Amino acid sequence: MLKYGFWLQRVAQLFVVLLLVTFGVSLLIRIIPVDLATIVIPVGSETERAAFRTSIGLDKGPIGYYLQWLGNFVQGDMGLIYYSGGTETVSGHLIKAMPRSLLLMAYTQIFALGIAIPLGVLSAYRAGRRADRVISNTLFIFSSIPGFAIGLILIIFIGTNLAWLPTLGYATFSEGIWEHFKHMIMPVLSLSFGLIAQYTRLLRADMIASLREDYVTMAMSKGLSDRRILWRHVFRPSSVTLFTSAALSMGGLIGGAIVIESIFATYGVGFEIFAAIGGRQYIMLQSSVAVIALFYVFFNLVVDIGSGFVDPRTRDRRSNV
Amino acid sequence: MFKFKELSKPTQLCVAWLGLMMFFALFGPFLPIENWTFVYEDDLGVTPFSPGHILGTDNNGYDLLSSVISGTRMSVFIAVTAVGLGGLIGSALGITAAFVRGKVDLVLSTAFNVGLAIPNLVLALALVSVLATNVDMTEVVPIWRRVVVLVISLTIVLIPILGRIARGATLTWSGREFVTAARSMGMRDMQIIRKHIVPNVLPALIAVAFLAFGVVIIAEASLSLLGVGIPDGGSWGGMIARGRNDLEYSPHVLYIPVIFLAITVISTNQIGEVLRGRLDGRESKV
Repeated sequence: MLKYGFWLQRVAQLFVVLLLVTFGVSLLIRIIPVDLATIVIPVGSETERAAFRTSIGLDKGPIGYYLQWLGNFVQGDMGLIYYSGGTETVSGHLIKAMPRSLLLMAYTQIFALGIAIPLGVLSAYRAGRRADRVISNTLFIFSSIPGFAIGLILIIFIGTNLAWLPTLGYATFSEGIWEHFKHMIMPVLSLSFGLIAQYTRLLRADMIASLREDYVTMAMSKGLSDRRILWRHVFRPSSVTLFTSAALSMGGLIGGAIVIESIFATYGVGFEIFAAIGGRQYIMLQSSVAVIALFYVFFNLVVDIGSGFVDPRTRDRRSNV
Repeated sequence: MFKFKELSKPTQLCVAWLGLMMFFALFGPFLPIENWTFVYEDDLGVTPFSPGHILGTDNNGYDLLSSVISGTRMSVFIAVTAVGLGGLIGSALGITAAFVRGKVDLVLSTAFNVGLAIPNLVLALALVSVLATNVDMTEVVPIWRRVVVLVISLTIVLIPILGRIARGATLTWSGREFVTAARSMGMRDMQIIRKHIVPNVLPALIAVAFLAFGVVIIAEASLSLLGVGIPDGGSWGGMIARGRNDLEYSPHVLYIPVIFLAITVISTNQIGEVLRGRLDGRESKV
C-alpha cells in the first residue's frame, strides 16, 4: 500500500514538472522580440493581425495564452503551421514525423545494445588482457567523436565514394522493407557509435565488480563452465544497470537525432523542429518541444517503474529516499 | 593535487593537447600567421601538407590552419564561459538547496527537474532560436550577439545538470558528523559551507565540469551545424558546417575541424574520467 502512495506522489510530481516545462516554453515564445502576428501575416491589415492574435490567445497575457494553448493541446489541437498559401496542422506533421523518429531511436538502441553486450561481456571476461585493452581504447575514442561527424564521414565514404546507400530521405515500409532499412543504416550507425562505447564501458565495469562477488567464486568452485557463469550469474544482475542506462541515454539520443535527422533529411520530429526554427514557426516549435518533454518524462517514469519490478533492490532504495 | 609525471602517458598527452588549445585560444591572434579571413586566390581547395598551407585551404581559399586556430578561440571561449558560469550558478544553487533543505530545496529541485525534462540539445536549440531572433528577418544577426546568446543558452542548459550533482554531493557531506560538530561549536552556515562543504564537493564538480566541457563543445558544433550557432567558419562547428557543403571534392575541410574537436573532447573526457576515478572507489579499483 505504501508503494502505491509512493508512485502516486511521483506521478503527481512529474505532472507538476510537465506543467512548468510547458509553461516555460510558452513564456519563451512570448519573450521573442518579434510580433508573431507580423510573421504570420506579413502583408495584411491590422484588423487581420488582431483577429489572429485573438485566435491563438496572444492578446491575453502570458498565463491566458498558456491556458488557451494547454486547453487546445490536451484536446490534440497543437496549433497551425502558417505558409504563404495556407495553413497545416502541427499535429498532422508530428503524427507523420513521430513514427520515423521512434523507429530511428528504436533501431539505434537495439543495434547499440546488440553490439555492446557481446563486447562488454568479452572485455569483462578478458579484463586487462589485450582484447579488453583494444576494445576499451577503441571505444573510448569513438565515444568522443560526435554523431554528426560520424554521419558526415559515412556520407563521404559509403554514400558518395562507394554509392552503396542513399544519403538523403526516408522510405516507409510500404516502399519496401529493404528500401526502408537502406535509408536507416547510416543514421542508425551515426547515432549508435557513442552509445555502443557508453554501454560497453558500463557493462564491463559492472560485470567486473560482479565477478568479485562470493557467489561467483562459489559457482566456479562448483565447476560450472565459464560461459554459464558469465551469462547467468554475472550478466543478468549487470543487465539491469545496462538497460537503465540505455533508457537514461534517451535524452541525448533525442538531441542527437535532431542533428542526424537534419543531415540525412529523415523528416522526423527533430527535422520538424529544425524546419520550424528556420521557418519561424514558433507555435510549431512550442508544441513540438512540449511533445518531446512529455515523451521523455513519461519514458523515464516507465523505466523507473519497470526497473523497480525487475530488480526489487532498486525499488527499496528509491522508496527510502 | 596531481603530479604531471604520475599521470599515465595518454593522460599526459591529453593535458598537453588541452594546453595547446588554451594557447591557441589565448594567443591565436598574436601568432605570425595571416588572418583566417584572408583569401588565397591562387590556392583554392589545396590538400593538407601543401607548401605554405600545412592543413590546406578550403574551396574559398581560406587557410585551414588559420581558420582552425581562430575556431579554437571561439569554441574554447564559448565552452569555458558556459561551463564556468553554469558551474558557478549551478553549484551555488545546488549547495544552497541541499544545505537549507525545506521549501528552498523543493523549489530548486523542481526547477532542476523542469530543466532536465527537456533533452539538452532541444532546450539549447529552443533557447538559441528564440533569443537570437531578429526583429527584421533580412537583417543579419551580428556575431557577438550570437556568441552571447549561445553562451547564455548553454549556461542555462548546464545549470540544472551541474546543480543536481552539487546538490547530491552536498547532501552526502552535510549529514556528516564534522558538519554537526562545526554547527554545535557555533560556526555560521556560510562558514560551514566554505570550510567544510565546498572543499569536499569541489573535486566531484571539477570532474563533471571536464565532462561537461566536452558536451558543450559538441553542443556548440551541433547548433552551428543546424545553422543557429556561429556561422561561416567562425568556430569548429561553423567550420564543420561549411565543410559539409563540399564533402565530395574537399573532404579535408570537414576532417580538420572534426579531428580538432574530437581530440579535444577525448582529452576532456579522459581527464574527467581520471579525476572521477580517483574520487570513486569502486570504479578506480576496476
